Amino acid sequence: MYMRFTDNLFGSNTSHSKNTGCNSNKDYKRMSFNGPKGGNGGRCNKRKALRASNFWMFGTVVFLAIAVLLTGCSGGSKDPSNSGGSKDTEKIIKIGMVGPLTGDYATYGQSVRNGVQTAIDEINEKGGVNGLTLQLVAEDSKGDSTEAANAIQKLIDQDKVTAIVGAVLSGETATVAPIAQDSGVLMITPSSTAPGLADTGDYIFRNVITDDVQARQMAEYAVSELGLEKFAVLYANNDYGVALKDNFTAKAEELGATIVAVESYLDRDEDFRAQLTKIGDKAEALYIGGYYTEASKIAQQAKRQGIEARLLGADGFYSGKFVELGGDAVEGALFTAGFYSGDTSEDIQSFVSNYKQMYEEEPDMFAANAYDTMKIVAQALEKSGNDRDALKAEMAAVKDYPGVTGKTSFAANGEALKEVIILKVENGRFSRAR
Amino acid sequence: MISPYYYQLLVITCINVIMALSLNLVTGCAGQLSLGHAAFMGIGAYTAGILTSVYGVPFLLALIAGGVSAALFGLIVGLPTLRLKGDYLAIATLGFGEIIRVTILNMKITGGAFGLRGIAKEANLATAAAAVFLAYWTLMRLMKSRFGRALTAIREDEVAAGAMGIDITRHKVLAFVIGAAWAGIAGGLFAHWFRYLNPSSFAFARSVEILSMVVLGGMGSLEGPVIGAVVLTYAPEILRGASDFVSRYRMFFYGAILVIMMLVRPQGLVGAGVFRNGLRLPEIHGLRGSKARRMQGPKLRTQETAKDSQQHAFAKGLGAAMPGGHRKGSTGTGVRQRGGDQHADS
Repeated sequence: MYMRFTDNLFGSNTSHSKNTGCNSNKDYKRMSFNGPKGGNGGRCNKRKALRASNFWMFGTVVFLAIAVLLTGCSGGSKDPSNSGGSKDTEKIIKIGMVGPLTGDYATYGQSVRNGVQTAIDEINEKGGVNGLTLQLVAEDSKGDSTEAANAIQKLIDQDKVTAIVGAVLSGETATVAPIAQDSGVLMITPSSTAPGLADTGDYIFRNVITDDVQARQMAEYAVSELGLEKFAVLYANNDYGVALKDNFTAKAEELGATIVAVESYLDRDEDFRAQLTKIGDKAEALYIGGYYTEASKIAQQAKRQGIEARLLGADGFYSGKFVELGGDAVEGALFTAGFYSGDTSEDIQSFVSNYKQMYEEEPDMFAANAYDTMKIVAQALEKSGNDRDALKAEMAAVKDYPGVTGKTSFAANGEALKEVIILKVENGRFSRAR
Repeated sequence: MISPYYYQLLVITCINVIMALSLNLVTGCAGQLSLGHAAFMGIGAYTAGILTSVYGVPFLLALIAGGVSAALFGLIVGLPTLRLKGDYLAIATLGFGEIIRVTILNMKITGGAFGLRGIAKEANLATAAAAVFLAYWTLMRLMKSRFGRALTAIREDEVAAGAMGIDITRHKVLAFVIGAAWAGIAGGLFAHWFRYLNPSSFAFARSVEILSMVVLGGMGSLEGPVIGAVVLTYAPEILRGASDFVSRYRMFFYGAILVIMMLVRPQGLVGAGVFRNGLRLPEIHGLRGSKARRMQGPKLRTQETAKDSQQHAFAKGLGAAMPGGHRKGSTGTGVRQRGGDQHADS
């Protein structure tokens, strides 16, 4: 009962404080014995009334503020669509895009946006879709799921987009997919590889090679076409690396090959000698489930240890830095990819040059997938018209669309069936092995 | 009918308001800087989400269970860490937040890096608003109780509060546990609104976001965190729709607004309370005559607090939290409000 103690100790001090008209010293004592509830009853009515009114006043103010904000915003957003004239809006088909345009993952989101924009520019140049102009509305998600959810709601309700390309990161896509599905808006992600995303519903599609498909294709290629039998696997301990490792070992073993060693490392590791010593020269090929920064170091350290196994990998290798950092050690490495910018076909070369002209950089896989995705959506739009439901049906019917990332069809669940290409490092450059 | 976009914004606002209010109890009232508040939200979200989606527990029950489990973690973490002070506590809570995130990332039942999917959409604006109302009401009652005043005393001067016989660790831990419980409930609402959980939603960035809401709105008051949460939830969305230029650089503007706010009004938007409904702060009794009166200003209701003999005792040495005296006592960021220099006066 420290309250009593303090009351007694400082009780005399209260005498010179101002009088409020109610004896709160007494109140306070009662409060300290009975707890806050009992004390409340003893307070003078004026104060109690004031407090109650304050509580309600604050509530009312908050309520009014929100109401004003809502009417203000919705009023503001209605105006342009009304005054913009129905003639204009009828001639435009709005395409939404959600992804990280700022923040840690901005490069992915920007690549996707640029890819979509390149496709839209090309389509509009050729007269648009049935005479209608396509317009891109790109919204930033910062890579945050909550922001992505807000962005997609805005695209659907405020901008009234016909279809959405996105989201970019798997976490975002998992958050926004149910929203698009409930609203009945076609959403197609050009980059999220987490398993099962397209299963959210019939409005949700995916146009990207998933990690499991890549790993299985590489296992098949290595066993059936290269005739390799003994593999070692070294993988990054994250969702990407684990998915690659699981599927590669499963497929290789299914085909009768043996996995002689499985070792893991962490992102940003520098030293892989311990894992490489364990692997030794038991394996004919080393499958690395990870990104080029670590893979190039692994290649060099393996070479120094005299390991002569062939290097196999996935699209994490696909960067000029891989050859730059790896040098001689990565010569002859094979990896799966969904897009090869050095391909000599006319479509790919015109896409690459258009993209370079606009953004002054080589298109990466994100941009290429986004470009193809937009082209596929436009093709479906041509048949369906500006109608969300008809568009969904047309999307599901896409068969063997010849894009820059190879031929694309969609499975019943909305998952893309795409060609996986295999690239090889030859004389310090990438070339197509299959 | 309200459009789904604004409906969703309102629900998110409600969740953020609860988060800000609950952190305010720890950081604003008790003065303990916590940088791991989002972890409690995550614990509540995953607990509630797993309970409803895997075990078929009713929504409201799962919501409460989420709050209880977050409170339990609050107790486990609070007992050792709240004996630390200032920067050390901040680092400890930051570490705790990371531990929780990484643990969720590596657990099977949480879905790991792929996240937890398939949660039913049970939350709506009514449940979220009811939760806000309940949180506001309980925290208001709490802050005005003996417990709340003891927290203020601890915030102002731990040594003096201890000398008055306040069990400092017990009060701090209890504040931490209550804050964690509300954060857990907010997490449960979050889970059942978005239907998908990912560990990255409860990372350090979210903790900082909530802390900014509290600091921007005004620490220690009740309206402050509410207003801070509303403003910081709407600001990015309003900037999104403003104009092409603004929406392209909206995160730049967002950051600039925060910096300017802290320069112009370090005590937060509301400060010690526009509606004077928040915690009534002790009178600057210990400061010398005219200076104290100048700082109080004519409108502040000083009488009733002065009447409280316990507060009176504290007031002798303290005054940092008064609107005027604030600047003198605070470190400028508004995060710490311990009036060291005033204390020396008494």
